[in-house]
Amino acid sequence: MTDRMPTATHLQFLVLAVLKDGELPGREIRRIIARYGVRRTSAAFYQMMARLERGRWVEGWYEQIAVGDQAVTERRYRLKPAGAKAYDEARAFYESVGVPGRKRWSDA
Amino acid sequence: MRDRFSAVLGALMPRRVRLDLFEPALRDIEIDDLARRRAGRGGLPASASRLAHVIALYIDCLRLTPSVALATRARGHERIVPSRTPVEPLSMLFYNLRHALRLLYREPGFMSAAVLTLALGVGANVAVFAVLEAVMLRPLPYPDADDIIILNHRDQRTGVTKEFIAMGDFIDLSSRQDVLEGLNGFGDFDGTIFDVGEPFRVSSLVASPGLFEMLRVQAVHGRVLQEGDARQGAPPVMMLGHELWQTKFGSDPQVVGRSVRLGQQTRQVVGIAPPGLRFPPQSRADVVVPMTVPAQAPAQRKSGWTFAAGRLKPGVTVADVDAQLGTLSRQMEQDHPAQNQGSQYYALPLRQSLVGDTRWPLLLMQAAVVLVLLIACANVANLLLVRSLGRRQEMAVRMALGAGRGRLAVQVLCETLVLCAIGGTAGVALAYWGVPALVALVPRNVNVPGLDAVGINRGVLAFAFGVSVATALAFGLFAAMSIGRQSAAGALTNAARVSISRTSRRAASVLVVTEVAVTVVLLVSAGLILRSFTRLLSVDPGFSTDSVLTIGIQIPADRYRDVEARKAFYERAFGTLSKNPQVADVGAAVVTPLTGNNWTVPFERSDQPVPSGQRPPDVGWQSASGGYFKALGIPLRSGRFFDSRDRPGGAQVVIISEAIERRYFPEGGAVGRRVRLGQADGEIVGVVGDIRRAGLTDEPRADMYFPFERSPSNGITLFLRTSGDPTAALPSVRETLRSIEPAMAFGAVETMADVASESLAPTRLTLWLLGVFAIVALALAAIGVYGVMAYAVRQRTREIGTRLALGATGQGIAWMVMREGSTIILAGLAIGLTIGLVAARSLRAMLYDTPAADPITLVATAGVLIATMLVACYVPARRAATVDPARTLTVD
Repeated sequence: MTDRMPTATHLQFLVLAVLKDGELPGREIRRIIARYGVRRTSAAFYQMMARLERGRWVEGWYEQIAVGDQAVTERRYRLKPAGAKAYDEARAFYESVGVPGRKRWSDA
Repeated sequence: MRDRFSAVLGALMPRRVRLDLFEPALRDIEIDDLARRRAGRGGLPASASRLAHVIALYIDCLRLTPSVALATRARGHERIVPSRTPVEPLSMLFYNLRHALRLLYREPGFMSAAVLTLALGVGANVAVFAVLEAVMLRPLPYPDADDIIILNHRDQRTGVTKEFIAMGDFIDLSSRQDVLEGLNGFGDFDGTIFDVGEPFRVSSLVASPGLFEMLRVQAVHGRVLQEGDARQGAPPVMMLGHELWQTKFGSDPQVVGRSVRLGQQTRQVVGIAPPGLRFPPQSRADVVVPMTVPAQAPAQRKSGWTFAAGRLKPGVTVADVDAQLGTLSRQMEQDHPAQNQGSQYYALPLRQSLVGDTRWPLLLMQAAVVLVLLIACANVANLLLVRSLGRRQEMAVRMALGAGRGRLAVQVLCETLVLCAIGGTAGVALAYWGVPALVALVPRNVNVPGLDAVGINRGVLAFAFGVSVATALAFGLFAAMSIGRQSAAGALTNAARVSISRTSRRAASVLVVTEVAVTVVLLVSAGLILRSFTRLLSVDPGFSTDSVLTIGIQIPADRYRDVEARKAFYERAFGTLSKNPQVADVGAAVVTPLTGNNWTVPFERSDQPVPSGQRPPDVGWQSASGGYFKALGIPLRSGRFFDSRDRPGGAQVVIISEAIERRYFPEGGAVGRRVRLGQADGEIVGVVGDIRRAGLTDEPRADMYFPFERSPSNGITLFLRTSGDPTAALPSVRETLRSIEPAMAFGAVETMADVASESLAPTRLTLWLLGVFAIVALALAAIGVYGVMAYAVRQRTREIGTRLALGATGQGIAWMVMREGSTIILAGLAIGLTIGLVAARSLRAMLYDTPAADPITLVATAGVLIATMLVACYVPARRAATVDPARTLTVD
């Protein structure tokens, strides 16, 4: 299993990793991945999140929050079982290719 | 928080893009925006910053749309990682549009020519449509305004029409008709309101109470006028206009029930009219007073006239109303032959009544600009055709690599779409600047509401969009079809000799022939109007319009109640003004010539009464002082002008025009004869020259003048012949009149030259627009001819080189090219003249003393066209003559 390339791209893996610890609003996810050097426009970011949603890796919904005395809604996301599985799979792959004595992916 | 702008942007993108990308990102912008506002950060204002972010987001969403569309198509077995091959239709569309933009950017010459041509065509259409929309299509400010009609009167014997109807006929028509919800009289007068601070002038609408029901309006406070208010002997009441109520009565609702003095009568205010109530829409209605109509038609049926309007009953058409009015007119003619002979009433829709004579020129203009657009389309199609020659190899390579003809055709269509979008935008910009100039040409007597607010509104933009898309499809399909005829193998193997097919060449020639023909139609039309206009300018109206100033004045009614007081005032005013060194002659009259006025009076010789049961013929009516004739230079043929002998209560006298003498006193010597004036007789004291009274196109009319000196009124128009510039005399004239009567009110001030010029406004409008469009068409057609001939020369360079090598002279080659060009020009000219002669018939109503088949116009049109087109042919012909055979024969 770990010999095969993971289904998730490195960017999707990063997002899944961010969501591993719990639900987050979209703009927070975007802010965190930006710290890893992944800078996406908000439209491009949400396009990626929409793909993850349609792949049933994450679940998204709108939630009302208060900014001062103003009520607004924001898009929030959490990991779904399939997403957790994809994350584990990718993580196992990256770990396996990094362990000495095992077949390196670049030798394949 | 969600604003309308964002909602509109969201609606402009595919649903999936909106839901997945735009909506969540927009919420982030909102949150950031709120946070920034709470933090009170500087920089751009919050709204501007938010706007910038939303626009950037929208553009970003558009950029990503193709990849979203791709994922949508792959639903069911959707991959989370997208495909990189943009093969889907939507992404192809974006690809083609981007490609088209790049291509156009690389060909600035072609793009400038095409965009300029399209901008002219679209811009002219949009500008004319903007005026047309405001004048003829914009809804009038009443519910179901298309159901409101205005009654008109036509004297079948003279053909003279009036917008008002005789009081006796009004009463009978009101009771007999059953096709209108009611027939309502209306009119206007200027009055003065006292007892509310300083006295001030107001415009009053006098109306039958049913007018409010007809207009479907209710009072804001109090009530509207009711039937009881209009009964004879009813207490005088009035309604206040909303604006007057606000400005002069402080919007006080308690004013309802108060008594206010209007002119010489104190009236109780019964209600406040709703905002903007006016009827007709171009008039003002500061106050509304009831029109009192007698219960029975008076014995003298034509003793008073009123405007009348009605609303069609459900299911009734204007034609139904006309039919019934015709029947009732004939009945009244039988019942009252002495007074109603030849009287016919008919209905005009309110809008038509307001637009008047300007309707046809505007429709004609729209037709003309559509022709200009057709020429523009033909030109751009030609440009594309020639351009496709240079791109044939590119297309061939694409086809060889597997691109289908359909896909290449779509690409060409996309290019034309982009071209039209740019051309359309430039056209709208041109129209934006052109509309004010166009509006300035619309005659002032066209008082349709909204004309002062003509502009590029949503309707006009929709029209511009429609025109641009139609244009793109028109020649885009033409260019796309040429792809289908190309052979990839032929283009690739014969790269140096690329040429468009014989069919395409023929198509290009046909396009140019069409352009030339359409240009000829426009030139003929413009030429006829020009001829007509020059004839009108040389028309002698029968009086002098130079150095004559007209001033409307009104003296206070309460201070000049009796006729002697008014006469004394005018005698003093005329005497003082005539001493002014800048004033040569001064007079007064009720009717200003050349303003369309058609007031008439029956004419009957006392010694030759009209047989019983017959109605005497109508002649023009005018009340004028003796000085009026001198000021306007109307010549005295015999007898005398009115003078101090003509006093109130004195003998009734009249002056007649030559036409009356010719027609009704064929034996001559009309002076001293007597005519019937109502129940009494009057003596003819003078015969003056005929004048064109209603307008310059009017034939010199039979007019009868009544002495102003005998019954001077409070309001009148003064006519002053000045020794220099008429307007320079105005300050001193005003000062003189004010010194005699400080409370005098001044009305419209115009020179007679301006009045005469204004009477030509519809013709001038037509001339200007047709002239401009004809010149544009001529220029475009010349470019078209040049394009085709230049292409032909380029295509035949080798042949020309061979001919020259074999001994042909440069002059002979030039002649050969000119001959080919001439064939196209002459074909277009022949077709254009034929169509132009037919089209000119529709102009007949607008022509004055010019036949539709005016030979001078036709010859001049042909001359201008041939000269221009030969110049367009000359440049390529000259180039052909200077071809170097040595170079052309050695280069493959």
